[in-house]
Amino acid sequence: MREGGLSPRALVARIIVIVIFAILGLRVGYIQLIDDRYDKLSDRNYLRNVVLYPPRGEIYDRNGELLAQNRLCYDVSIVRKDMPKSGFDTLRVSHLVGMSKETLAKKISQSPYRRESRLTRYPITVEQKLLLDEMNIGGFYTSQRTVRQYPRKIGGNLLGSINEVTKAKIEKDDSYSVGDYIGMEGLELAYEEVLRGEKGVVLQDIYAPQAERNTILKEPVAGKSIVCTIDAELQQLAEELMQDKVGAVVAIEPSTGEILTMVSAPTFNPDELVIGKERGNNYAKEINNPRMPLWNRAVKSRYPPGSTFKLVTGLIGMQEGVLRPHYQYSCNMGYHLGGEHIGCHEHRSPLALSYAIATSCNAYFCYVFRNILENKRKYEIAKDGFEAWRDYVLSFGFGRKLDSDFLGEGAGYVPTREFYDKRYRKSWNALTLLSLSIGQGELGCTPLQMANLAAIVANRGYYYIPHIVREIEGQDSLDTRFYQKQYTKVDAKHFDHIVEGMWRGVNKDGTCQGAYLKGYNVCGKTGTAQNSKGEDHSTFISFAPRNNPKIAIAVYVEHGGFGAEMAVPIASLIEEKYLTDTICRPHLVEYVKKRKIAYPMYRKK
Amino acid sequence: MQYGQRKRESLFGSVDRVALLLYLLLVAVGVVAVFSASWVEGSENFFAFSHNYIKQIVWLGISLVMGVVIMLLDRSLWHKIAYYLYAAAILALVATLLFGRTVNGAKAWFEFGPIRLQTMEFAKIAIALATARLMSEFSFSISSFRSLVNVALLLLVPLAITYLQNDTGSGLVLCSFVFMLYREGLNKWLCIPIIFIAALFLLSFLYSPTVLLVALILVFTLSECFANRNWRNSIIYLALLFGGSTLLFLLLSAVPTISVDYYTVLLSTTLLSMVGVCVYAYRSRLRNIYIMVLLFVVSVMITPTSNAMFNVMKPHQQNRIKTFLGITDDASLNYNVRQSKIAIGSGGFFGKGYLQGSHIRYGLVPEKHTDFIFCTIGEEFGFVGAITVLTLIMLFIFRLMRMGDRQRETFGRVYCYIVASILLFHTLINIGMTMGVVPVMGIPLPLISYGGSSLLAFSIMIFIAFAFDAQTIRE
Repeated sequence: MREGGLSPRALVARIIVIVIFAILGLRVGYIQLIDDRYDKLSDRNYLRNVVLYPPRGEIYDRNGELLAQNRLCYDVSIVRKDMPKSGFDTLRVSHLVGMSKETLAKKISQSPYRRESRLTRYPITVEQKLLLDEMNIGGFYTSQRTVRQYPRKIGGNLLGSINEVTKAKIEKDDSYSVGDYIGMEGLELAYEEVLRGEKGVVLQDIYAPQAERNTILKEPVAGKSIVCTIDAELQQLAEELMQDKVGAVVAIEPSTGEILTMVSAPTFNPDELVIGKERGNNYAKEINNPRMPLWNRAVKSRYPPGSTFKLVTGLIGMQEGVLRPHYQYSCNMGYHLGGEHIGCHEHRSPLALSYAIATSCNAYFCYVFRNILENKRKYEIAKDGFEAWRDYVLSFGFGRKLDSDFLGEGAGYVPTREFYDKRYRKSWNALTLLSLSIGQGELGCTPLQMANLAAIVANRGYYYIPHIVREIEGQDSLDTRFYQKQYTKVDAKHFDHIVEGMWRGVNKDGTCQGAYLKGYNVCGKTGTAQNSKGEDHSTFISFAPRNNPKIAIAVYVEHGGFGAEMAVPIASLIEEKYLTDTICRPHLVEYVKKRKIAYPMYRKK
Repeated sequence: MQYGQRKRESLFGSVDRVALLLYLLLVAVGVVAVFSASWVEGSENFFAFSHNYIKQIVWLGISLVMGVVIMLLDRSLWHKIAYYLYAAAILALVATLLFGRTVNGAKAWFEFGPIRLQTMEFAKIAIALATARLMSEFSFSISSFRSLVNVALLLLVPLAITYLQNDTGSGLVLCSFVFMLYREGLNKWLCIPIIFIAALFLLSFLYSPTVLLVALILVFTLSECFANRNWRNSIIYLALLFGGSTLLFLLLSAVPTISVDYYTVLLSTTLLSMVGVCVYAYRSRLRNIYIMVLLFVVSVMITPTSNAMFNVMKPHQQNRIKTFLGITDDASLNYNVRQSKIAIGSGGFFGKGYLQGSHIRYGLVPEKHTDFIFCTIGEEFGFVGAITVLTLIMLFIFRLMRMGDRQRETFGRVYCYIVASILLFHTLINIGMTMGVVPVMGIPLPLISYGGSSLLAFSIMIFIAFAFDAQTIRE
């Protein structure tokens, strides 16, 4: 039979077949060629965006030694959809991810079905990750990231720590998203933008994570490493010397303003605050410690500078023309005038400036202070004199932030005229404020400011803003402010007399002969700050050598007694270490380390 | 040329070579696709019998042997044993229902050691032969109501059993016999309503009764226009109907004591207007209007009852229809079809390449080697591959229809058309469901899907048709 001889029904039947196949064919064509929705859906089905966390910039000390490095770890996330229906060894998995079996089961059952969600709050170690991989369970994914590790375990407050970014921060700053890490405190916070790097994104094939088809949408950019100005060995020594004491040590290189050492005691092991299961406990332990290890005393505390401030008083006096180095004042166990009495210890009298500094005579500087404020030729009333005095003090970096690169820097405190007007109902004069002359009273300085004072004297009249970072990877220079000399309002010529006094204090007949280092002409000034809470604070500022100084240092030991008692040996040992690179007095190191100062006032809490 | 000589000369000498080639191409596509769907990278022992593709090749071998055997048998044998086979098939179906094994919720399988057979696959052959035998009886007339009832009974018995087996999908294949019946000259006024009412049933889930009623009125009035070409009267009728019912609705709404909706008003007025339409038909002697009025009234009655009918269905059947119509929000039900659509849709023009389909590789498409084998083809070979497969199947169906058309006896013709109908139905449902065009039913893509019993049964069925054809030419 020929096709032409088909019955009409047979023909219609063929048309029906054609129509049916045309419908199927058009449908195939539509979903494959025209509707591109399926391509995207297809991708979403088996591709996931995986954040590539950049390694955080490493932190080196000034000699290239690692202070903070990165340790590889893994975040674990889950997709319930991909988990095996037959179940898996939940007990083993719970051990590997560090949670209880019940928590794990709860976490899984509460997780979204198709969407990826994070399983653990803390990353797991490489070993745990490998064991987890070995189990080869569907629905568990790991993504690589890094946490900190501290080879030297020093500089807790200095380096700061890292934690997961808070919700509040994410809302404010859209460069962060949930699960990111961010620097908290210290260097990590101050240089967060440099250190963090840029996150990358890879489009990963869920079923073949290692496959070549993974397309990197954005390469992660590693954080830049930074070289900080800290000398690790010096820092370690300083931390050891400050053990069992409360206070701070700050050492600065006067010719650059670089901070060589910055210790806030008590300190803590930075490894304790690395993101992980123990961080919470350790943090709570530190925050509840009444000695407040997390409080960075070196830049935040407001200490009375004590006798170290006499240097400033003397300098202002000379600049104001009310003091000549050869002026002599007598001291009869203190300064007595009317009802005012400021005591002093026994020393030769009368005495001139250099010896007054060396032996730290209170009365001498009370005279100077009064002369500054009551300079009738220049100021009508003492209050005007006070304001002039205050301007000088501020030019030394007191009473204001030094604008260093270290965040959280405190301003210290230098009282204002208004403050006294209020306190004394406007009836006050130089005598009322007499204790300011010897660094007592309302004055408050941070150890950083005190170290800066040492640097100013060392430089004979100027300082570089103290800073903690020396070099940033990929940058030629730091902010220009760190290269500019900051002059005080006192002329350079006056400083030599002060330096003479400080040299004499160490090398001849002063209060700080314990700081003597043969051949280095150490200059220093002790301070013994009275306070209402207990034993006097022991403080010492120093620089060495006398000419072309290499190091300026301030040591502050709360309730450490006389300046010479605690602060001098600590500063001296640090100077020795820095200048000679050795310690010739190991017995002194042992002695200082073993000295425990009782702090009954810190136990009350 | 003498009969005996030719037979001795070549066994396949008179077989439709094009059809045979198409058959071989389709089973080859099947093996290739099954290989892709079941191959696991890095699996050991390439030729192990546990692999699906090896099994499929073994079954293909068995099928070809069966094909040769069938070609050697005399065609009259099938005519003789048709009813016995049918009886055996019914017995086997009942036995499966009683003792069978449940797979995917359907108690439709028999297990002999490692071999699992779906009874309905083979029963189809017997049903096809029996139907062909019945329709080739001398007393059978396509226009006789009794004859048609006999055919219906012949089909309804196995359909009922598959319903009880929870495997209605396989049973519904028998509905495709309508295609053959149409070819055999079934009154078109029986064909059209069957399809029309089936469509209406589905649509009634999608649209509100009011919308459907308005659509029905418009469709029927339009077809009346086309049939009798009196546009003017139809427009007047529509205007009167809608105007009148709207006015009535507004009037009734104004009466506070009566609460009534527009659907009721429109339905009542329309049904009332039927009387007028009948009077008009009687006067103008337009007999076809009677049939339309009847069909319309039946349709209008069907619409609200479809929900009742729906409730008769088993939950998974309801779900499949709901899913298909997009009126479910259960993600897991949509999941299969959605993934399947995504797999095919992501294939693009040339596909992702053999063994490169990510959806197939990663097992995102369920049943990827059996019912959803078309996804493998669509994803890995793209539009080109899909259209090629569709074309092959279509050509093959055409070839079977051609075989039927050139048969000299009703038996052979009906049989060939039944085979064509079954293939058409399977293809439409199977490929349609992978693309969300028809509801999901668990039926395989003939000759391509993985499954030994399916391949063997289709091969036997097809080779019987080949044998009919070859031996017709020869005689």
